[in-house]
Amino acid sequence: MGKPKVGVYGLTGCAGCQLTIIFNEDEILDLIDLVDLKAFPFIKSHNEDETFDLVFCEGLVASNEDLVTLKKVRDKAKILVALGACAHTGCIPAYRHWTLKENYEHLLYDKNHDIQDQEPTPIDAHVKVDFTIPGCPPDGKEILNFVKDILNGKTPKKYNNPVCIECRRNNNDCLLIEGKPCMGPITAGGCHSVCINGGFECWGCRGPTGDANYEAWINDLRSKGFDDNFIKTRMKIFAGLKMEESAFKILK
Amino acid sequence: MTHTINLNHITKIEGHAKLFVEIENSKIKKCELSSIEGARYFEGLLKGKHWFEAHEITSRICGICSCGHNVAALMAIENALGIPVSEQSKVLKKLLTFGERIRSHAAHLYFLALPDYLGYESALAMTPKYKTEVKRALKLMKIGNDIVRTIGGRDMHQVTATYGGFLKIPTKEQLNDLADRVKGLKEASIETAKLFLSLKQRPAVNECEYFSLYEENDYPMIDGPLVSEKSKFDKDQYLDYFKEYHNKYSTANFVAKDDVSFVTGSLARMNNAFDKLSIDAKKVATDNGFKIPNKNPYNNNVAQAIEIVDALDQVMKICTELDPVDEKPPKVNVKAGHGIGAVEVPRGTLFHEYTLDDKGIIQHANIITPTALNLKNMEDNIREIIPSLLNLKDEEKINLEIEKLIRAYDPCFSCSTHFLKVKWHKVLTKS
Repeated sequence: MGKPKVGVYGLTGCAGCQLTIIFNEDEILDLIDLVDLKAFPFIKSHNEDETFDLVFCEGLVASNEDLVTLKKVRDKAKILVALGACAHTGCIPAYRHWTLKENYEHLLYDKNHDIQDQEPTPIDAHVKVDFTIPGCPPDGKEILNFVKDILNGKTPKKYNNPVCIECRRNNNDCLLIEGKPCMGPITAGGCHSVCINGGFECWGCRGPTGDANYEAWINDLRSKGFDDNFIKTRMKIFAGLKMEESAFKILK
Repeated sequence: MTHTINLNHITKIEGHAKLFVEIENSKIKKCELSSIEGARYFEGLLKGKHWFEAHEITSRICGICSCGHNVAALMAIENALGIPVSEQSKVLKKLLTFGERIRSHAAHLYFLALPDYLGYESALAMTPKYKTEVKRALKLMKIGNDIVRTIGGRDMHQVTATYGGFLKIPTKEQLNDLADRVKGLKEASIETAKLFLSLKQRPAVNECEYFSLYEENDYPMIDGPLVSEKSKFDKDQYLDYFKEYHNKYSTANFVAKDDVSFVTGSLARMNNAFDKLSIDAKKVATDNGFKIPNKNPYNNNVAQAIEIVDALDQVMKICTELDPVDEKPPKVNVKAGHGIGAVEVPRGTLFHEYTLDDKGIIQHANIITPTALNLKNMEDNIREIIPSLLNLKDEEKINLEIEKLIRAYDPCFSCSTHFLKVKWHKVLTKS
């Protein structure tokens, strides 16, 4: 088998996840030697979009252009990877779903413009996604390990333990006990609890763990004086459209 | 005869953008540079959020200048609520933004700008012949990221800086280690400056006002009034000087002052504060013939390269002098308020402005990014340069020169809104 043909595309987003690939400064040149990088418009002028073995897609669908690009790369890619929180959950831009139109509508200057707004949605709302590398942004090494697995013919595994497991291992003081609205117990880890290591509570950027005890977590936050509105916003702001509906039923 | 230049998707810039130019009988009828990024409505999403959520949300506006957004939001809220900020916290904020300046400039210069000058489609394609240069870029990006990671806890969307202070203070050992490693890269930064100073630039003059923050004792970063050759005003007056207007072809904000074209960014900072650069930064610039004031827009690249030398020196100085004390962030008294924060991010001056109600809920947010500020000037310069390019005849060459000019501004369309792909249409009309 020859080198796998790889593409890296960005939809609407902050380019942070694409940068996270490049910010593997010690490994990036070796990594690029192992693949045939056909397209990466952020850093390349010649981008061939024939067929790909592997495409990383950053960003969410927020415009008609995004949708066209996404469908094109899906059609040409054997494996499509949602790279980062925007592609995975819709992240912060998807909060528009719960924002009053009057708060943002005026910010779009030209309603007749050829770039049409789309409902902000993660990419799996439109196309089949084969793998997700979560996080805002993902851990750089996680991306390397993903590519290594693919090159070795292994199926990359999803990390599904809550952030608290890694956080305890890192010997951090529990921020929930300190009264902070930490989302660690209900959020998928794999991030080495990087935010909490820095003293900052988890905001849930890697999406829900799936089998979390939402009721216990919500009641704990309530007992610390956080109201249901605040809790709801926190649950939506990064986890976006991936937060489980059942969790919201507990809230008023 | 009518020509149109239609760059539908510009590559090697941050974000997605396109350019449309219409030329009739050698006269430019239209020149529209616009973002084709989907709207994210950050300012709208901030309405109704708590004061302490602004920095974490706005950091996501941009991957490459997340620290800048973070710090601008912190400063605006600190001003709105009168939160006291210790000297140590100010210095740590500066370290974050210096780290970001280094990684952003190194990434832009070597990965986005240099391939055009050396005749390659990308830095990756350059690698076989220019391995030393590409490796140098990666080393500089790494030290920038390591500075941000050491101070901010994370290389992107840092977490430790908070309102009035830091959640985690770096240790003296960490700062010493950084200082040592930064020192080891000094030569790489000098080589970078020399490389960009040696590139042949197309002659061009950008006659406009050059705006940046101004600090009495330091090269511009996170404090002070706004200055240009002619004006000086407090950052709170930014909206009196920078008028926001909406045009029909973009989601980005365009701004003009008294309808006069102006620019922010590395070259503006250098024109306003060259004497505040570190000794070695000034030396490499003057030894290699860099003159101030400098009005060639392509030289923004050169200014960025010189700024890397300065940033490394500043980081070394701070890390050597700072003896960190383990202080806790102050308790905040929530009240109604209004505050503005301004930061010299890699691409120019960034403004964050918030109005809070008495419960500290955000009622209004206004965020003006350097790319939004610079967009009109970019268009003006493209318009200016095109007539001299038409002699090149070859469409690819003309497009490359236009793209080089756009890339010299290091625009970030993620912030304002994303790349450039060139497609020409020729329409023959009876004339």
